[in-house]
Amino acid sequence: MDIKVHSDGRKLNVEVKGRLDTITAPELESKLKENISGITELSFDFSALEYVSSAGLRVLLSAQKIMNKQGSMVIRNVNDSVMNVFDVTGFIDLLTIE
Amino acid sequence: MNKNRVKFGIGSKFSISLLIFGAVLSISLLVLGICNYDNSIKQYYNDTAYQIAGMVRDFYTDEELLKYADLTTRYNNGEDVSNELNEVINSDSYKNKLSLIETLRKNVGANDINICVLDEDVLKNFNQSDYDNYLWNPLYYIVDCYCDNEQSFVLGDSGAILAEYRERTLNSIQTGQPSKEFYISSGSFGYNITAVSPVTIDNQTAVFVVVEIPMSTLQENIRSYILQVVIIVIIFSIVAIVLFRMYLIKLIIKPVELVANEAEKFTENNNLISEELSKIKSNDEIQLLSESILKMEHGINEYIDNIKRITGEKERIVAELNIATQIQADMLPSIFPAFPDRYEFDIYATMNAAKEVGGDFYDFFLVDDDHLALVMADVSGKGVPAALFMVIAKTLIKNRTMVGGTPAEIFEYVNNQLCDGNKAEMFVTTWLAIIEISTGKCVASNAGHEYPAICRAGGTFELYKQKHSPALATMENMRFKQYEFEIHSGDRIFVYTDGVAEATNVNDELFGTDRMLDALNKDLNATPEHLLEIVKQEIDAFVGDAPQFDDITMLCLNYYGKDGIC
Repeated sequence: MDIKVHSDGRKLNVEVKGRLDTITAPELESKLKENISGITELSFDFSALEYVSSAGLRVLLSAQKIMNKQGSMVIRNVNDSVMNVFDVTGFIDLLTIE
Repeated sequence: MNKNRVKFGIGSKFSISLLIFGAVLSISLLVLGICNYDNSIKQYYNDTAYQIAGMVRDFYTDEELLKYADLTTRYNNGEDVSNELNEVINSDSYKNKLSLIETLRKNVGANDINICVLDEDVLKNFNQSDYDNYLWNPLYYIVDCYCDNEQSFVLGDSGAILAEYRERTLNSIQTGQPSKEFYISSGSFGYNITAVSPVTIDNQTAVFVVVEIPMSTLQENIRSYILQVVIIVIIFSIVAIVLFRMYLIKLIIKPVELVANEAEKFTENNNLISEELSKIKSNDEIQLLSESILKMEHGINEYIDNIKRITGEKERIVAELNIATQIQADMLPSIFPAFPDRYEFDIYATMNAAKEVGGDFYDFFLVDDDHLALVMADVSGKGVPAALFMVIAKTLIKNRTMVGGTPAEIFEYVNNQLCDGNKAEMFVTTWLAIIEISTGKCVASNAGHEYPAICRAGGTFELYKQKHSPALATMENMRFKQYEFEIHSGDRIFVYTDGVAEATNVNDELFGTDRMLDALNKDLNATPEHLLEIVKQEIDAFVGDAPQFDDITMLCLNYYGKDGIC
C-alpha cells in the first residue's frame, strides 16, 4: 500500500493506493493521527484503492467520527469493488461518498 | 589445543623472515667487503711493484739504458749486431746488475723483473693472425730475471704482450706515465699484478721496467674473510632468531594463544566469562584485544539473557493465546449434530481463524421450542482485540435475543451497548435471523454483513439481497432495518463472513461470491457438513500458497419443514 498525504492548512487530502487491509490499515491510522488535528476538511482519494477490509473500514469510521466533531469528511473516486464493500457493510449510509 | 590448529605460526614466519633478512644482509656485506678489500690490496701490491720498478731503474745509468735499448732494437729490427750483444751480455757490468736484480727479485718474492723496449711501430701495427702465430712481438728484452732462471730472456730476445694491453702501453709510451689501470693476470700460482713502469730519458720513453709480483696472499685473505663473515653472520642470525623467537613467544604468541583459548573456553563453558583475560596488563595491542573480547563476551551474555527473557515471554504469550483459542472455540457451538432430537432442520458451522484468535463468530440457538436464531458476524480487525470484542458482541446478542423481540430491536439494543465506551472504534458486521421452525417464517436483519445465499428446493444457491444497515457499534442510537422471508421444506441457507468471498490467491485475485456460489452448487444434495467441506476445499485450491489473511467462517442450515426429512 502507498499513502500520499497532502496537507493545506485546514484541508487534508489523503491518497491511498493498493490494498487497505489488516496489515496496512495501522499505517493509514497513524498517518491520519499525525495530521488530523486542526483539519476541517478531510478528503480521501480512493481512485487507486483496490480493496478495503473491515480493518480498513474501522480506520475510516474513526476518521469519520473525528471529522463529525471538527469538520467534514468526503471520500472520492471509489471504484466498484470498494463501493460494493461500503454497500454491503452499510458504510454507504455513514460516509459521505462522492 | 590451538597450537595444533595453527599450521604456520607467527614464530615460524618471523624466523624465516629473519633468516632471509640475515642471508641478504650477509651477502651484501660480503660483496661490499670483498670489493673494498680487493681494491685496497690490489692498490697496495701495485704500489709495491712500482716501487721495486723504481729501484731497478736506479741500478742503471741513462747511458747504459739508452745503449742497451738501441742494441736490442736494432737487433730485433734485423741489424747484425750479435757481436756487440754478446760483448754486452758477457760484460761484468751487465752480469753484476743482472745478479743484483736477481737478488732483489728473490728478496721481494717477485715472479719476474725485466727491462725492455716496447716498439711503438709494432704496437701500432697489430695483426691478429701474427698475434695468434706468435709472430707479433713488440717487446725487446734488455735484461730479464724470471723465477725459473733457465727461462729468463737475455738482451736481444723478443716477446709478445697481451693484445688487450696494447692501448695502455702505447699511452704510456706517449705520455711517459704508468697506466692507471692494473695489469692483472692469472698464472699457475694464482693472481699476479704487474708494474709496467716507463723510464723517460731526454723527454722520451726509452725503456720499461716490468715487475710482476704474485698476489697469492690476497686470495687466501679473501677466502678467510668470507669464512669469517659467514660464520659471524650465521652465529648472529641464530642468536637473533632464538632471541627474537623467545621474545615473540613471550610477548605475542603466548598472549594471543591465551586470548584464543579463553575465547574458545567461553563457548565451551556455557558462556562463562573468563577471568584470565582481565589479568592481561601488557599495555599494548594484546591487552586491547583481550579487553575487546571481554567486552564482547559480556555483550553476548547480555544478549543471550535478553533472548532467553524474550523467548520465555513469547512462549508464555503463545501458551496464553492457545488457551484463548481454546476458550474462543469453546464459545462457539461445536458439537454436531447440535440438535439431535430436532428432525425439522440440520445445521453445521465452522470457523478457521487467520491468527490464533479471530474476530469472526457464528451462533445458533433455540429461543424457544419453535424459534431458532442464527447469527453470523465479523468484528473489524483480527487477533486479540477483535476476539475480545467478539466475546462481548456474541454474549450481548445471545442474551438479548433470548429475552425476545425482533432482530431490529435486538440490534438497536446491542448497538447502543457496544457503542458505550467503544474507544477502540471497533465494529461488528452481523446477520441475525430468527426462524419459526413450524412455519418456516424468517425475520432477519443485516448490520453491514454479507448477503446470505439461499437455495430453494430443486434450485441452486443464489445471493439473497435485502436491505442493509450499518454494522453494529458504528454509531449510537441507530435504527436497523429488518426483512421477512419464508423457507420451505428442502430450502437451504448459507451464511458466511468476508473471509470466504475475499480469500486471496498469490495473484491478488479475490475468491468472490461467484466462485463461492459455484462451489455451493457443486453438490446440491450435500449435508451441511459436507457442503462446508466442499467450499473450504475450493477456497484452499484457489488460494494455493498465499497466506490466509482473514478468518473464514461459514454456517449452513438445511430446512426440512415440520414433517421432517422430505
